[in-house]
Amino acid sequence: MKTWQKVLILAGIACAAAVLPPALARYRSDRETVLEFGMFTGSNWNVANANSFVIIDKAIERFEEEHPGVRIHYYSGVRKDDYSEWFSRKLLAGEQPDVFMVLGTDFNQFSSMGVMKDLGPLMEQDESFDETKYFSSTFRAGQYRDVQYALPYETVPTLMFVNKTLLVKEGIEIPHLDWTWGDMYRICEKVTKDLDGDGILDQFGSYNFDWTDAVYANGGEIFEPDGRECYLTDDRVVESVQFVQRLNELYDGKKVTQEDFNSGVVAFMPLTFAEYRTYKTYPYKIKKYASFQWDCITMPAGYQGGNYSQVDTLLMGISADTNKQELAWEFLKLLTYDERIQMEIFRSSQGSSVLKAVTQSREMESIVQEDMEGSDTVIGGDLLGRIIEEGHVEPQFKKHEQALALADSEIGQILENDETIDSSLKILQRTVNSYLQQ
Amino acid sequence: MNEIRDRYVILLQGIMLALNVVAVVAICAFIYSTTEQIRYNYDARTFLDGVVSIPKNPRGNLLICVALLGILLFTFLVRQFARPRKNVWTVATLILDMFVCVAVIIQLDFNYNGLLLLVFASILAYVRDGKLKMFFVALAIVGYLVADYELLAIYLPLYNVSDYIGYYTSNVQQYLFSIYNILISLNIILFVIYCVYVINSQRNTLDKINQLYHDLQIANEQLKEYADMSVRMAQTRERNRLAREIHDTLGHTLTGIATGLDACIATIDLAPEQTKKQLELLARVSREGLEDVRRSVGELRPDALERLHLDEAISKMIMDMSQVSDVEISFETDETHLKYDEDEENAIYRVIQESITNAVRHGKAKKIWITMKRMKGELRLVIRDDGCGCEKLTSGFGLKHMKERIELLNGTIAFDGGDGFTVTARIPIRWGEKYD
Repeated sequence: MKTWQKVLILAGIACAAAVLPPALARYRSDRETVLEFGMFTGSNWNVANANSFVIIDKAIERFEEEHPGVRIHYYSGVRKDDYSEWFSRKLLAGEQPDVFMVLGTDFNQFSSMGVMKDLGPLMEQDESFDETKYFSSTFRAGQYRDVQYALPYETVPTLMFVNKTLLVKEGIEIPHLDWTWGDMYRICEKVTKDLDGDGILDQFGSYNFDWTDAVYANGGEIFEPDGRECYLTDDRVVESVQFVQRLNELYDGKKVTQEDFNSGVVAFMPLTFAEYRTYKTYPYKIKKYASFQWDCITMPAGYQGGNYSQVDTLLMGISADTNKQELAWEFLKLLTYDERIQMEIFRSSQGSSVLKAVTQSREMESIVQEDMEGSDTVIGGDLLGRIIEEGHVEPQFKKHEQALALADSEIGQILENDETIDSSLKILQRTVNSYLQQ
Repeated sequence: MNEIRDRYVILLQGIMLALNVVAVVAICAFIYSTTEQIRYNYDARTFLDGVVSIPKNPRGNLLICVALLGILLFTFLVRQFARPRKNVWTVATLILDMFVCVAVIIQLDFNYNGLLLLVFASILAYVRDGKLKMFFVALAIVGYLVADYELLAIYLPLYNVSDYIGYYTSNVQQYLFSIYNILISLNIILFVIYCVYVINSQRNTLDKINQLYHDLQIANEQLKEYADMSVRMAQTRERNRLAREIHDTLGHTLTGIATGLDACIATIDLAPEQTKKQLELLARVSREGLEDVRRSVGELRPDALERLHLDEAISKMIMDMSQVSDVEISFETDETHLKYDEDEENAIYRVIQESITNAVRHGKAKKIWITMKRMKGELRLVIRDDGCGCEKLTSGFGLKHMKERIELLNGTIAFDGGDGFTVTARIPIRWGEKYD
């Protein structure tokens, strides 16, 4: 045998040795179907949640029954705070799960990286799927640049907490559901007073009602949907900041704190639906806000808007690289589109279902009522549905979080230093725009 | 192909291949190890914030790239050691190389496209066919332009090696960037050296060919002069021979006859008997002289006919012609013994020779059929070929010459250039007639 023939044969063997093992590994893994599911433990809404696995476990049980030979595997024990890092590490190694939860702060990053599958074709193929069954706001939350990358799983709107005891004491009626900034300002003005006569205000109208809440209620947007510029000089935004400033002026420079609120001397505070459910039920109702009667209503409408508020949605998506697309889609649909599983959200979680039929059902009202005292009125399904449907969805672009933080801290400064709103916002708009366009 | 395949070209190709293997493996390994480090340090989410995209599976990427580079090495060795005789194999391995390179470049998300230069280099050296070369070169150039990271990153989410380098401290970054850039530049420099070398050696070859062509032309001219000279010399020799022959035979005989006749004039009255004998002797001498002249003239007869019988001469001519050209000639005759008078044989031989020459030279024929038949006291000679024939008969094909020869024998000759070319000659043969 000549030298070159030997060399050729050796090179051939080397090639085969390099190619075969990965191919074999792939072949082996195909024989047993395991669908990986990525989720975190605990609540997405920063409230205690003991039953985080219950819904998922039920869904998995049903799925495995309906699909014999398929096993769903999930990693337990990843906390919400660690989930982003956990998922990113999986992603870097190319080991991301087939179906997974996406945090709101990760969604635009992962979508833009092409990590998540475009669900458009899957939704079109599936004749049993009807996107109008979702609240449109929650459905839109799963879109990045007009492409549906995720489906909503659970949603939480922002409500307005009302201290009923305080209002009754002051002889003020609980506001109607279509109340406005004018109503809010009047009530705040009326309740803000110095009770013990020491010259320092000690009862207040509102706590934590910030300019972003006001912008959404005024029908405004802070950023252009693609994040190329901000709308800080827009009428609606300017009015909102001015309204917050007027409220602050009522408190004479005194900073209202959480302690003030907890001790029952504040009338209004924005509160998420998840917090509402948590603190309305045992055992947490003892811990917080136990000293007074309270309830939740809609956000007050701005001059140009309506009773709109921020809606936060927990999303789920499919990995762009999954080789079990059909199964992944079936499982995703089971979690987000199945009414029985979605009803479990009211039983075992603190958020709301993303399906209109579930959220607006009598069953939901009775489930929520179960955990509450008989005297408490339950927020009605229709009202909850309306709030979610009309809710404001945060735009999805890469620098959103940082840009909003920048704008928020600057506006905080403006309000604190009592600067001229108009001109200060103009300067700020330039700063934020230049950051966005970097 | 051989002159380019010298040691330096192979060496340069080998170095380029080695450099590219190092570059690709280094990039893949770097991305893999950086990924592991990011994971180890729990910096994954922060890292992802700064990137557009990431490789789907860094470890898989590394393995796939190593396997693909193995194929490149394999085809390189096939070309060097197996020395495929056929161009087809070279082209096939080059096409395979192209696909492999594209696959590697896609694996690397266009972060390194130096591999295209490697393919480009192989093409320059191996593909000699002008059109094929242009096609490959165009493909490689378009590929190199299109596979540019900066260009594609506008349209596609691609991962960037710089993002991974950016993960390290600025001190380390400087080193990493230098290594990365040096690898890219080195590849380009090697490629330029390679190109210069190959183009130079190809130009040298061209110069050599030009020189050889020049030499050949000179030799050709000299050969032509020699040929002319030898024709003239042959003529001179022939004239000398003729002169000698005439001098030796005819001169001798005529001298003898003249002297004898002089003697006869002197003795005719004195001794008529003696003179008669003398005259008979002279007559015999003059007949012998005639024989000699005939023999001399016979020696001047052309080529094979001089030495051979007609059928042998024709066979020899056909064989000679078949050997020097790739024409297939068949010869058929029902005559068992071809023996005619000399002038007839000459004419037959010349007509056949001229027709074959025309068929090959002007008709580009592949097959020639020759038939010779006796019909009603005539010899019918037909020479037909499958060449391109000719629509209009042109003089200068020796046709006039043939016609003269046949007409001298009271025969006829006809030409037909419609389907191939057919020469039909009828010669009235003097069967058994004696001729002196």
